[in-house]
Amino acid sequence: MAASSPGPVSIGRRNLLGSLSAPPGSAPPPGVALRKPNTAATAKAPSASPTPPFAVRALSKMGFGPRPGDLAAFNALGANDDARHAAYVEQQLFPDALTDTEVDARLGIPAYQTLGKSLVQLWADHEGDTDNWLVRMRPIRELDCAAFVRACHSKRQLKEVLADFWHNHFNVFGWDWEAGPVFVHYDRDVIRPNLLGNFRTMLESVASSTAMLYMLDNQSSTVSGPNENYARELLELHTLGAENYKGVIDPTSVPTDGNGVAIGYVDNDVYEVTRAFTGWSVKNGHWQYPAENDGTFVYRSVWHDRFGKFVLGKLFAANQPDLKDGRDVLDRLAAHPGTARFVVRKLCRRLIGDAPSDALVNSVAALFQSQWQAPDQLRQVTRAILLSDDFKNTWGDKVRRPFETVVAFLRATAADYTWQPDDNDAQWAISEELSYRMELTGHRPHYWPAPNGYPDAKSRWLSTGTLAMTWKLVSRLVEFQNAGSFIINVLGQTQAALTAPNRTAAKIVDYWLDRILGYQPDATQRDELIAMLGQNAGAAEALDLSTDSWNGGNLKLHYTQSRLRTTVSLIGMMPEFMKR
Amino acid sequence: MNGSRISRRGLLKGSAGAALLAGGARPAYAAFDATSADNTDVLVLLYLRGAMDGLALLAPISGADRTAYELARPELALPLNGTDSAVPLPGTAFGMHQRAGLLRDLYLSNHLAIVHAAGLMGATPTRSHFDAQLTMELGTPGQQSIGSGWLTRHLESATNLPATIPIPAACASASAPASLLASTQAASMPSGSEFRLNGWHWSWDDADPNVPTMTPAATRLKNLWSHGDALDGHGQRASDALAIIRPMDFGAYAPANGAVYPNSGFGAQLRMIAQLIKNEAVGLRIATLDLGGWDTHESEGTPGASWNYFGNKVEELAQGLNAFYTDLAGAGGANYISRVNLVAISEFGRRLKENQSGGTDHGHGNLMLALGGAVNGGTLYGTFPGLAQEQLFEYEDLAITTDYRRVLSEALIRRMGNPNLGAIFPGYAGYSPMGIFQGTDLTPIYQAPQNAVFGDGFE
Repeated sequence: MAASSPGPVSIGRRNLLGSLSAPPGSAPPPGVALRKPNTAATAKAPSASPTPPFAVRALSKMGFGPRPGDLAAFNALGANDDARHAAYVEQQLFPDALTDTEVDARLGIPAYQTLGKSLVQLWADHEGDTDNWLVRMRPIRELDCAAFVRACHSKRQLKEVLADFWHNHFNVFGWDWEAGPVFVHYDRDVIRPNLLGNFRTMLESVASSTAMLYMLDNQSSTVSGPNENYARELLELHTLGAENYKGVIDPTSVPTDGNGVAIGYVDNDVYEVTRAFTGWSVKNGHWQYPAENDGTFVYRSVWHDRFGKFVLGKLFAANQPDLKDGRDVLDRLAAHPGTARFVVRKLCRRLIGDAPSDALVNSVAALFQSQWQAPDQLRQVTRAILLSDDFKNTWGDKVRRPFETVVAFLRATAADYTWQPDDNDAQWAISEELSYRMELTGHRPHYWPAPNGYPDAKSRWLSTGTLAMTWKLVSRLVEFQNAGSFIINVLGQTQAALTAPNRTAAKIVDYWLDRILGYQPDATQRDELIAMLGQNAGAAEALDLSTDSWNGGNLKLHYTQSRLRTTVSLIGMMPEFMKR
Repeated sequence: MNGSRISRRGLLKGSAGAALLAGGARPAYAAFDATSADNTDVLVLLYLRGAMDGLALLAPISGADRTAYELARPELALPLNGTDSAVPLPGTAFGMHQRAGLLRDLYLSNHLAIVHAAGLMGATPTRSHFDAQLTMELGTPGQQSIGSGWLTRHLESATNLPATIPIPAACASASAPASLLASTQAASMPSGSEFRLNGWHWSWDDADPNVPTMTPAATRLKNLWSHGDALDGHGQRASDALAIIRPMDFGAYAPANGAVYPNSGFGAQLRMIAQLIKNEAVGLRIATLDLGGWDTHESEGTPGASWNYFGNKVEELAQGLNAFYTDLAGAGGANYISRVNLVAISEFGRRLKENQSGGTDHGHGNLMLALGGAVNGGTLYGTFPGLAQEQLFEYEDLAITTDYRRVLSEALIRRMGNPNLGAIFPGYAGYSPMGIFQGTDLTPIYQAPQNAVFGDGFE
């Protein structure tokens, strides 16, 4: 059936249009196209989009945006922005001193059964279940929802931002067959305790975690059968980074620093590091040790490659004590200036912008490196970034990724629902729809399958698919109901804020712009929203919010409550709302 | 088509005017007016993410290479005998994985071509997934600062496309891949049926013929992205793509000619692309999709065993590609496949020697696949460099003998009619087609375009 056309199929434009085949009714609307001639007339001059007040910026960049009352609380922290910011940062850098009773209550409902289980319990209750996938994966199913509960309701906003960052830095696919059942341990005992602590400690905690030992296969790495997966990603993703990868070249050709440590790594280092980590494994009932099966870390010295290793230009002697080879590698990586720059730049990219200044990166990297053994190294580093002028003065260099947009919208609108796993097959719960739609956006929590974590470049999150699926999810959030009530009480909050005579389209729009954006956008944006909500109502005419029915001949009365919800959702879809 | 010139008109796009990405200036491309008859071929790029084990899909079955293969893969080697044996490709020294029968059928009916030992050349070799994928998709081995993907530069430099096309490029994913980085002509859509703004309450969601004076919410949304914000171009493109796709019914689509897609995300994405191709008013020229999960460091699975992970994956791949071809291979006006060209690529192959976890580690050279009605299938292209120790790259991996750009260049010139290789693959020279694709060779234009304005509201 191969066509043997002699060249590219060339059809004159007229012929092409004439011979177009398309199922009936499926033709695109006329005049709409992604490829079109550009004329100066279609290019709109950028308006002076207002910069939000400092409080909005700070809470949007080091948290998931303000909830009602947050902006006032921030502004009460000091006499000027610098003072307020310093106070807020300091408060957020000690998250455990902030009581979080709302999150505790929400995560204490019966639907959350696994968050307090020890690793051994998780292993016994879930990893061992190979028949019932819903039971096996219950821990990650709960975390899939808990991510939203925490980000939406926690006072420890910075901690939630950092948890998201470090989870992605040390990414484990949450739904991995082996890692999923123990993911609660990874989140609670490996990532969260260390994110304002010490990077070297976090490295070892990750290296010996059951989740990572499975994700990157090190649990099966032995002297007779080494597996290089973890070693490669330890160097490329966790520490030195691809920017310090010199490729498949001779290790002795890599320049060294004053201490003889190579400035970057090569494939040979990957292999040597592989050897250093042989024997780091899990008690998983391996046929050689069938009685050891509780999911905890174990070092098997008989599996370890005991001979000398040459890593980053220096020799580790043979026959070192148990675990020392791996630990020495982690020491070398944690102390390396390349690691400091790579990690710090990544953190700056997360908090500030895609191209953080070299000056900032270098100065914070120097701090990172000098404090590599300090128990509060990461607190110091995070503080330095947050208090920098770059952080304070940058706005809009990043965009909210879908998780951040959704959470910010839920926070700003005071959504009241505890996302939770649902086992009822007879219905599609809103938590399930949330997860499904998050997956379509490409940013479902713990759902990135590769060890490099979700990308963090602005351009990546402005793709049509990401925007479209995020918009769609936001439009659904204002329609979500639980037990017959909207989880976002748009109507009730509007009625509480404005007495009946004051419910003009303009005042309602202004109220919700203040709630969701925290500031007034360009006038044309406001006008569009007022036109949407008010329709043919006069400028001073109060809307009747008590009805929600057909009135196609008088649009100010046409499904008014639905129109109100739709208008509010549009605020959550504006470009202004996407910035951080 | 010889000697098409690239005009140097800068392009202003979107509301933010011309912008330069960090990393330097980028070239300007041709005006959007077609200067020659329109090309309607479609190039579909399937990226097999994770480094597919090419030696397990297509294995040597005779000679010294077979001996070396068996020695290196005592557990994983495709057997020569039995029900799970490698199925020989006639006239070659290679056999295909037994579960890839539907791919083999395509090969035997001369629609599928296989290229040996292809990969990244012209830069320090890498065994990093992320490095290799990125540089391959940017089209600039060894360099990552160019700021645009090779498919982006193809669409910008092509002079044989209409000035207006609803959706020139579609990506079956939430975000466009790096091959379309910085493109303003690509719509990423993870699901056809979900790709419409119908989440609002129905009353204000869509244009209602009974309420002609109503402005639907989707229009309001586009307006909110048209009032002069720097991000506007992105929102307008998303709005436009949604409006273009909305009339299409993806639930009602019935594959033609008996095609049966795999019941998976991959199958759904191929179906979606096929449906878009058939809706010729959309004007699709480029499609991208991924199939991941190939990073088999552990438990790759063996033919015939109850655990055959790799076998499952190649079966899905084979079923998908076979269904895609079949669906598009109708008669007369429904012979879409005559202008569809699918190329499958992976960032590198896997090591010849298996590891002790029942898997394989990162390698070097790998297969590329080419599928389509205008493909000279039924042939193995390129040079298989051999599996003897001294023939291997670093004594470990299949070496690379064909630059991946060579295969893509041939598709660009012979099928897409775009000779602007200097723009698309800067630094790549020496166009030399292998005969994979039917079509006429054009004189490649190697000089890099001048004049640095390219971009959209891309701050």
